[in-house]
Amino acid sequence: MEMNHFFDYQETVNDNGIFLTFSGLFTQEFIIKLGDALKSKLSIFSVDRSLELKVFSLVVEQSQNIIFYSAEKSVQISEQHENMGVGTITVGFKDNHFFVFCGNRIANQKVDKLRQKLTLLQKMNKDELKEYYKAQRRITPDTESKGAGLGFIEMARKVSQTIEFDFFKLDEQYSYFSIKAVI
Amino acid sequence: MENLVIERTEATPEIHFDYLTGVLALRGESYPENAADFYTPVFKWLRSFLASNHLNEIVANIEILYFNSSSSKVLMNLFDLLDVVSTQGKRVSVNWIYDVENESALEYGEEFKEDIKFIEFNLVKK
Repeated sequence: MEMNHFFDYQETVNDNGIFLTFSGLFTQEFIIKLGDALKSKLSIFSVDRSLELKVFSLVVEQSQNIIFYSAEKSVQISEQHENMGVGTITVGFKDNHFFVFCGNRIANQKVDKLRQKLTLLQKMNKDELKEYYKAQRRITPDTESKGAGLGFIEMARKVSQTIEFDFFKLDEQYSYFSIKAVI
Repeated sequence: MENLVIERTEATPEIHFDYLTGVLALRGESYPENAADFYTPVFKWLRSFLASNHLNEIVANIEILYFNSSSSKVLMNLFDLLDVVSTQGKRVSVNWIYDVENESALEYGEEFKEDIKFIEFNLVKK
């Protein structure tokens, strides 16, 4: 990265109210440390316990999604960590709301299914989401869904604004998936 | 049969299942990357306990500050299992212990309560 770009990076982070951001390799051990850093940052805002746990929950669910579903892995350390994935997460506070923004590469053939699932969640109200969550909790997850398939529903239930997402085609193999949750 | 004792870590709860008293205690946070794997020995112990157990009463004290979505599924499986047991002549009660400052913990408890049929499910303020 050029030195002048580094200043732009800092300005972008500041202008968007981002107080925690990480881009790179996610493992379970790292998520625990990220959670500690998040709790420490949130204490500055003197938020109540409920809100703190909601933000924490979104960060854990999104970070574990990166481990499970990112198409990008690190070959160098794959022997030590069977489960890991590369992605980016940012947590911020803007316009009186906390937000968690997250992105990672996924295989193109998985885009349609994920888009359908998230579109369905966008259309549901809180009561429908609750019933859907409870129904999904009782069925056996399909093999693609290592986290019991409940993570996105959990996120949709916690947000105060409808979840936003995007798929950006990178090449013939991969797309970049990003998702934003506002509390 | 020995008690089941699992030490607490940052992402997994302290687990103490007592064979003689029939008190099952789970306390802490639960967000392992693979909850199904983590809880496999817990279910294994519980099944042997239920198969060999002479007690008429089982009490589960669950005090979990935060759990991820895959742990939520595991807890549902646990309550379903206890629900079945309570139809077989045993008295089973679950104490869902929640912190009043954490609204979600009470909501989660209520949602589990709605989804089980037979066990006594108490929402207990800490």
